[in-house]
This record gives sequence, C-alpha cells and structure tokens, in this order.
Amino acid sequence: MAKNLSGDLQVASANRLVDGAVVFLDGAGQWTERLERAEVARDKRSAEILLERAKTEAFDIVDPFLVAVSEDDDGRIEPLSLREKIRASGLTFAAIAADAVRYA
Amino acid sequence: MPDTHFYRYDDYDRSLIAERVEQFRDQVRRRLAGELTEEQFKPLRLTNGLYLQLHAYMLRIAIPYGTLSSRQLRKLADIARRFDRGYGHFTTRQNLQLNWIKLEDAPDALAALAEVDMHAIQTSGNLIRNVTADHFAGAAVDEIEDPRIWCEIIRQWSTFHPEFSFLPRKFKIAITGSPNDRAAVRVHDVGLRLWRNDQDDVGFEVIVGGGLGRTPLIGKTLREFLPKEELLAYLEATLRVYNRYGRRDNLYKSRIKILVHEVGVEKVREEVEAEFAAIKDGALKLAPETIEAIARQFAPPPLRPKRTRVPEVEALKLEDRDFALWLISNTAPHRVPGHAIVTASLKPAGAPPGDASAVQMEGIADIADRYSQGEIRVSHEQNLVLPHVAIEDLPAVYKALRRLGFAEANVGKITDIIACPGLDYCALANARSIPVAQRISLHFAELARQHDIGDLKIKISGCINACGHHHVGHIGILGVDKNGVELYQISLGGDVDFGKTTLGTILGPAVAADKVVEAVDALVATYLETRRTGERFVDTYRRIGAQPFKDRVYGAV
Repeated sequence: MAKNLSGDLQVASANRLVDGAVVFLDGAGQWTERLERAEVARDKRSAEILLERAKTEAFDIVDPFLVAVSEDDDGRIEPLSLREKIRASGLTFAAIAADAVRYA
Repeated sequence: MPDTHFYRYDDYDRSLIAERVEQFRDQVRRRLAGELTEEQFKPLRLTNGLYLQLHAYMLRIAIPYGTLSSRQLRKLADIARRFDRGYGHFTTRQNLQLNWIKLEDAPDALAALAEVDMHAIQTSGNLIRNVTADHFAGAAVDEIEDPRIWCEIIRQWSTFHPEFSFLPRKFKIAITGSPNDRAAVRVHDVGLRLWRNDQDDVGFEVIVGGGLGRTPLIGKTLREFLPKEELLAYLEATLRVYNRYGRRDNLYKSRIKILVHEVGVEKVREEVEAEFAAIKDGALKLAPETIEAIARQFAPPPLRPKRTRVPEVEALKLEDRDFALWLISNTAPHRVPGHAIVTASLKPAGAPPGDASAVQMEGIADIADRYSQGEIRVSHEQNLVLPHVAIEDLPAVYKALRRLGFAEANVGKITDIIACPGLDYCALANARSIPVAQRISLHFAELARQHDIGDLKIKISGCINACGHHHVGHIGILGVDKNGVELYQISLGGDVDFGKTTLGTILGPAVAADKVVEAVDALVATYLETRRTGERFVDTYRRIGAQPFKDRVYGAV
C-alpha cells in the first residue's frame, strides 16, 4: 500500500545538461536516471538540505527541483503527480494505445 | 529531381545561417564547459529553436510558410534519424519538432539543416515568428494570389529585425490568398487576407489582435484595403505601436490582442496610421521590381492541362471503396485542369497526430519527386500536402501513400484530429493530448462511418496555451489538471472558416479522461439524430444550440 501521500517524501530531480534526460540525485551525490536510486528526503528540513545539495551538484544538470513521491511497503517510490510520473517513466502512448484497442 | 518553384536562398541568406550555426556551436561549447550558466544560455538556445521539455531537448525547425522541397524533407528525415529517434512531429504552426535532440548534437543538426537552406530561427522568443500561410498556396483553384510571395517578403524584413527582437511577447502572422481561408488568419496577432477590390486592385485586409491561448479573441479589421507595396511599412507601424504600448508588466496580458481589446481597435488604428503616415514613403515602400523579383521565384510549375476524367481513376473508384472515399476527402481542385491537390493524412487510425517517421518522410519525398513537382506542404492541421498531382496519377499516389500508412481517407473528418504534444512531451502542459486523440481515432476508425458523419474538426490542447487550437474546433477538448487528475473540458461550435470565425462555447463540467470517447460519441449521436440534409456537425449545433448535446453527454458520462 502506498503511504506518505501528503507530499512529505521528496526526491531531487533535474534534466541532464548534455541531453536533457531526466535524472535524480542519489545518496552519493551522483545524478542517476534510475528513480529507485534517488535519495528520499523524509521531512521538510531534509528536503531543504537535499535541494541545496542538488544545487551544488548542478554542473552537469539544469534547474534542480524537488519531486513529491510516495513509497510502498517494499520501499518502491513513485512520483505523486502525473507530470512527474511521465517524467520518470516516459511516454504513455503504448499503454494508452492498448487501452484504446480494448475500448474500441 | 524537379526544380523548386519557391524562394531559393542567395549567398546572403546562406552566410547569415552559416554564421548563426557557428555562433551557436560556440555557445553550446561554452555552456558544456561551464563558461555560461543556464540563465545566460537559455535565451541563446531558445533563439535557435532549442527548448528543454519534460524528457529531453526539443528542436523546433522552421518550415517557412509550410513549403518544403523533397530535398529538404529528405534532410529532415536524415536529421531525425541521425540526431533524434527517427521521427518528428509536424505542428499546428507548420513547423517540425524533433523531441529527443541532445544539446551536444544541436549545432550539427542545425548545420545539416543549413545544407538545405533551413534553420530554427524565429521559432521561439518574443519576436516575429515564422510566418504561416495557406497550405494550398500556389495550387488552389480559388486563389487570388500566392500568399507565399508576401510571406517571403515578410521573412526577409523580419528576420533579425533589430527593433523587434524584444517585443512584449511573440508575434504571429498568417496570410491567405484565397477567400476560403485555410490559414486561420483571424486568430493570429496579424492576419492578412489578399482580396480584389472594385477597382480590380489586389491588396490586403489587415486583421489585428486575434489569438487563442488563455484569452481567445477574434481579430478585428485594422485596415480594410492596404495596397501591396505598403505592406512592410504598415507592418512596421503596427509592430512599433505594439512595441510601445504592449504590456510588459503581465505575461498574460502581453499579446497585441490584449492591447486591441483594452484600448479598442479604433485607438490602435489611429496610432498605427499616424506612424504609417510618417514612414510610408520611406525605405520600406516596396518597389515593383522588388516584388517582381520575389514573385518570379514562386512562378507556378509548368503544368499542362490534362484529362480531368480518367477511365483508370473512374474504374478504381468503383472497385475500391476506400480509394473512392479518399478522392472525396483527401483531394482538392487544382488551378490547372487535370490536376489535384492531395493531402497525405498523418492521422492513420490510432497514431499520434502529425507524427512521421524518417522512412515515411523519405517516402513522401519520393512521391513528391515523381508526382508533385518535388514539392510538399505542411498544413496547420498537421498533415502533409502534395500540391501538384495529375489526376491520372492519383491511383499510383494513393497506392504509394497506402504503403506509407498516410492514405487514410479522413481529411476534415472526425479522426483528422489536431492535437498538441501535451503532457507526454511538453513542459507547459497540464494533461495529455495525444493519447486522447488516439482513443477517439480508434473509436471512429471505420471510414464509411466517418464519411457519414461528415466534416467534423476535433482539436485538442493539453493546456490553456491552446497549441491544439481547441477554441476553434467544432469539438474542442482542453485538458486540465484538477488536484492531480486529468480532466477534459469540452467546447462546441468553434470554427475558422473565413467570415464566420467563431470561438467555441464550453459545454459543461469537464469529464474524466476515460469518458472523453463516450462524450464525443454522445455528441456525434445527437448530431446524427437531429441533422438536416447537408448540415455539418457545427451547422446543426448552431441551429439547435448546446442543450440537446449537453443533455446527451451528461446523461452518458
């Protein structure tokens, strides 16, 4: 079951400078394309620190910001907003097209 | 390969673009080396058409007045393949967007574009954008004059115009040379309509202050008849008035439409005419030989009249129902007897509207070389047009388009949907557009049904900026975000047919994403049950009003 839907949990994200790819800041201060490796801030103070760290590790990325996420019992995290879900997992066409075929 | 029959770059044009590419190459190098901050670099990349979207950089390539040669289209395919993911998206402003460009590759992509006299200038920023035109220009049977001559004159005047490089906001100009407006001129910052007056002179009606977006407004006539040689001086005067009085304090009120709306077209006219009086006999007055020199480059291709009734075409019509439907919806009369204008539908059932792969682009280029004088047009309705096809060649063109997946007989029909990239790509969007278009397209895919429904334009935007022109759709669909959930607001009755340009009216509460198809189905069912002979969907709506549609939709969803 998803928990922490209030937006308390946050990860730092940005676009990579060289190609614009969506990246997340991990615990070692590296930018990764894998959301599951992102460091999760669990309260407001931690989130502020995470964003500051993201801004200092910003040489190879563009415009870092915080993304609210949920976390399930297995520790899997997922962005709360649809926009950030799409940023994290890519275009929705294939999934929607399959729905559309069923609908038709 | 046939010679092109539109403007060819000279050495001046080419050196301008080449210099620009090298400037940008150095700017990218400095950004990657950390010598420029993003704040410093962002305006530089945007002036070269490079946006940063959700997942990647997006390169918006200018296709001036929507006209392409086969050579240029092949180069676009080559760039899509080498620097992107092998496809591109033709937009409602007749441009091409590549959605997965890497910053480090962008200068090489621009250099490749420059090889075929193309660029990404005037596709971003608060300046005069790439001018758009009727996609049937130079071929339409109802055309008074080819509007592209004037688009090109405006391009030469506006590119890097120092006074208008930092306008209050972007500025879009569209031109039609036909009484049947296919360029939506009344919903542009300035719309120009060529027409012939009682003295048999051809000039422009100048329309100002139209636009969609957050505040949709229909343009008003600024000058009923403007002699052609005065076009640039009059535009210069108009831009000066906008530059002086346009609002810079509020982004949402910065377009010229707001100025016209707030102070009134009479006041704007007074200011423009005063400015115009001061400059009209100056350097911007167009000499006849200047106009003639540009016009010569748009000389019509040497088409000879041919048979208009071709037995092979008639036979195939009887044999192949889809071909017969395609002739009805995807071909239009050509000014030269025995020829037709063919629209290649970039809306096959269930596909993202306006997308074409590199292979498909090359296929269209081949067809254009063989059957359409090497010319292609991009329509603002996100289709490609083969403007000069002999009627006797229509069966071969149809078969070739079928192989590419672009022979869907749906132009102007319910599945010929305009859709912006939406939340799948766009950093500004609130909701997805393309998946909604795909679902509607699949639901109504059966061609005979589409032709029974008749002309019906669905336009979908993923946010209030209205790149999908939802305000002027017979059925407009606007995606909104309500507490993190996508909802879709439906409006009815929009139209851009000239003389009756109308903005749609919101039907009622927004519907859930999975109810949009049902809602459209209910709208269509209401129309089919109540239409009179010859009435299009929008005509029936105008006659009976919104209530029957509303009752049906909200009863269904």
